[in-house]
Formats: sequence, structure tokens, C-alpha cells
Amino acid sequence: MSNIIVAQNLTLSYERDEEIIRNASFVIEKGDFVFITGPSGSGKSTLLKSFYGNIKPQSGTLLMGGLNMSNIKKPKLQELRKHLGIIFQDYKLINEWNVERNVVLPLWIAGYSNEVQQTQAKRLLHHVKLTGKGHKYPLELSGGEQQRVGVARALSKNPFLILADEPTGNLDEYSSNVIWDLLENACQQLETTVVVVTHKIPSVFNIPYRHFTIDELGDIYEVH
Amino acid sequence: MRFIKSHLSLIFPMVAILMGLEFFIAFDRTTKGYEESLKDSYAMLVVAKDEMSIDDFKSWDKHIYKVAEIEKSKIIDKVDLPFKSSDTSNIDKDMPNFYSIKLNKYLNNKELEEVKRNILKSDKVTRVETFDTLHNSNYGLFSSIKLAFQTFILFMTIIGFFLIIKQMEVWNFMHSERMKVMDIFGASLFLRSKALIVMAIIDAILSAIIASIVFYTIQNSWIKGNHIAILEDNIGGLFSIDDLITLSFASIIIVLIAVFLVVINVKEE
Repeated sequence: MSNIIVAQNLTLSYERDEEIIRNASFVIEKGDFVFITGPSGSGKSTLLKSFYGNIKPQSGTLLMGGLNMSNIKKPKLQELRKHLGIIFQDYKLINEWNVERNVVLPLWIAGYSNEVQQTQAKRLLHHVKLTGKGHKYPLELSGGEQQRVGVARALSKNPFLILADEPTGNLDEYSSNVIWDLLENACQQLETTVVVVTHKIPSVFNIPYRHFTIDELGDIYEVH
Repeated sequence: MRFIKSHLSLIFPMVAILMGLEFFIAFDRTTKGYEESLKDSYAMLVVAKDEMSIDDFKSWDKHIYKVAEIEKSKIIDKVDLPFKSSDTSNIDKDMPNFYSIKLNKYLNNKELEEVKRNILKSDKVTRVETFDTLHNSNYGLFSSIKLAFQTFILFMTIIGFFLIIKQMEVWNFMHSERMKVMDIFGASLFLRSKALIVMAIIDAILSAIIASIVFYTIQNSWIKGNHIAILEDNIGGLFSIDDLITLSFASIIIVLIAVFLVVINVKEE
């Protein structure tokens, strides 16, 4: 098993602010499905942001795919991000682009040809049960559909790691189950590592998972 | 409609700035021609006891470039003397020497006084006539037109720049979300700003073409029809096709700076 994320005495804080995550040490391996839970404001999203380089460690070490996030330079960070799939609670779709274009954004950034992009878009839209909606715009879709577009975008370049920040936070039960199924499949079939920040772990979950929790003081424990 | 509006809101201030720039270039070019003609028609008169050479004059002041001696006989001919017909040789002998001096550029009053003082430093020179009343009135009129025009251009440019700053805020509002999302997925700075750069360059070129057409029309209809003395002699030099290149270049530089400022100010959340 290769290590995807390695944190050692990791402390995170926003500038001149108090520590949000304190002295966290953990290892996440290839193929792991990890839930991170904790009360509001405990630093779950901040921890996830540190995984894609949005916030740098204040102290300690954070290695992402072998890259040290403390001193990573912008070009390296861009390269790392090209191999990540990120899902947000508020979807973060580009509203002036149609669904198909949103889905293949990572492929477009990586410079894939139009043919490859179109083929992948069709395949992914079928996979997330949005066949025939490629030419619609995000604001024409329901919240559940928009989040499925977000998942399709995250999966489009076969990332080695999917990071999801409250992916079902705004969705009804049916839409939430569809999202969990998609993430389970990605982990099980493609051996993609998945890290999900959530308030609540789904009651029915069909694959083995790890569970980290963060308390109010910013300490992290593995509970499952 | 929104699409047209988003383009016009950049094109309009750009045209204002480019018109200002083109007015400045063209006015500078045409007024240089007018200054040249004023300079050619202007001469100072110097009265000296002894005969002088051009080198003597040039050594006194760097603005002197041409000296012509006025023949004494011509002066005597123009003066209506009762004894003129009998004998003018004695008068000729006692008369000082007269020189007409041309300057290398059109000088302002202060510079003209400086030239006069420099010439008068010589013991041989008894009098210098600058004809400054005529010179002053020409120069004053010319300077005030030039100043008024440049002030107008300056204000037009300032307003243009304020409108561009406003447009940058609109760009920031319209493009920042897209650029943030693209940044999260690893897009380079160029890729993030590509759409904005392409749009801005197209608008910049369109602005340069519009400004050139407006100027070309002004040159060929309005100025030719109105017989404006300062511009009429140099009407051909008012607008040249090279100016389109200059305007396009200036326009592209301005929009690229504006785009760059917008892009670097988009920060990740």
C-alpha cells in the first residue's frame, strides 16, 4: 500500500489566528475511503483545504503524493491539483459554461483533445445518470443534478485522490444516496482514495471505511 | 444585449483614450509644421558698428543658424532723403551694419530675450530688434490653443482611465468565480485569464480601428471644410496609416495591463 497523505504533527491556522488543527498525525493510503467528521467550526474544511494547497501548514509536515505542502511552489501545486478530484458543498460549477464543458474542465486544463473531452463527457454523464443534459447550464439543473455534475468533473481525469467537502450537505436523501454510490464505486472499482468531510456518515455504506473525528480544540482522532 | 454591453463598456473608454493619444500625436505633428512656418517667417534685426561674420553670431547664441547682411543701399533707397540724389556715399560710410538673423526654432518670449541679451553682450552690437510684439501675439495665440487642446486631451484620457478601472471591477465580478474554480483544478495563470485576454485584445483592436476611422473622417471632412490655418497646411500629416499600428499597440498594452491587474487580484477563497 502506498501512502497518499502523510501528516506529522500538522498544525494549521489562518494568519495571526488561533490554531485550527493541532499536532495532527495520520497516514491515508491508496484505496482508503476516509470520513472526517466533527462539530461546526472544528476545522474539517480547513484540513481538506490543506490537502489541495489552499492553506499551508503552520508547522509540522504534510505530504501529498510525496510532495511537501509546506514549501510547494505554484507550478508543482498546479500539477498536483491536476491529479485531484475536488467536490464542494456549493458545487462550484462555472455557471456560464454548459454541463458538458464543466465536466471536462480538468481534461481541458490538462490539454486533452476535443474528441477525448467529448467522449469522456458522454461516458461520465451516463455514469452519473445525466445523459442528455450535457447542453444544459448548471442553473437549469436541480441541486442533486448539479452535485452529480461536480462528481463527474471530479472523476473525469481518473484522479488518484478525491476530496469532498460536505458533498451531500445541500441534498435530499435520494440525491445523497446517488452521490455516495458514485464515490463508493470510484473507491472500489478504480482504487481511488476518497476523503470526505461530512457532518454525518451515511447510515447505509457498503464498503469498508476509516473515520477521523476532530474535536473543538482541533485535535484529530481515528475512531473507526 | 449583455454581450454587446460588456464589449462596449471597454471599447468606449478605450476609444476616448486612443482619440486623446491620436489627437496628441497629430496635433504635435501638425503644430511642429506650423511652428516651422512661423520660425521661417520670423527674423531678428541686429545693428552692429563693425562687419560681422556668421561665426561671430553663432558663437554668441546656439539658436542662431542663419545670418544675412542687409545691403545699406537698399535701406538708403527706402529712406526718402532730400540729398539722396546728390551723394549718398558719405551716408553709406557712416551707416552701421544691419543683419537679419534667423533662428533654428520657434522660441518663446523668455528664450527670445535670452538670445537678445547674448547678442548685446558684444561691444560691436549697438541694437537688437526682436519684433516681439508680432512674435508674442503669434506665439501667445498658438500657445493658448495648444494648452487648451492638451488640457482637453488630458481630461479625456483621465475619464477614459476611470472608465477602464470601472470595467476592471466588472471583469472581476464576471470572471473571478470561473478563475477561482479553474485555479482549484490546477489551471495556469494564462489558462485562467485566456478568455479575458482574448476578449480584451479583440476589443482593443476594435477600439483602435474605431478611433482611426473617426480621426480619418475628421481629417477628410471637418478640417478640410473648415479651413483651420494651423492644420490646413499639414492636413496630409494629420493621420497616417502608421498611427493605426501605434494605436493598436498602445491599446493592447493598456488592456493587457488591466487584465493582468484583474487576474492577479483574484485570490482563492
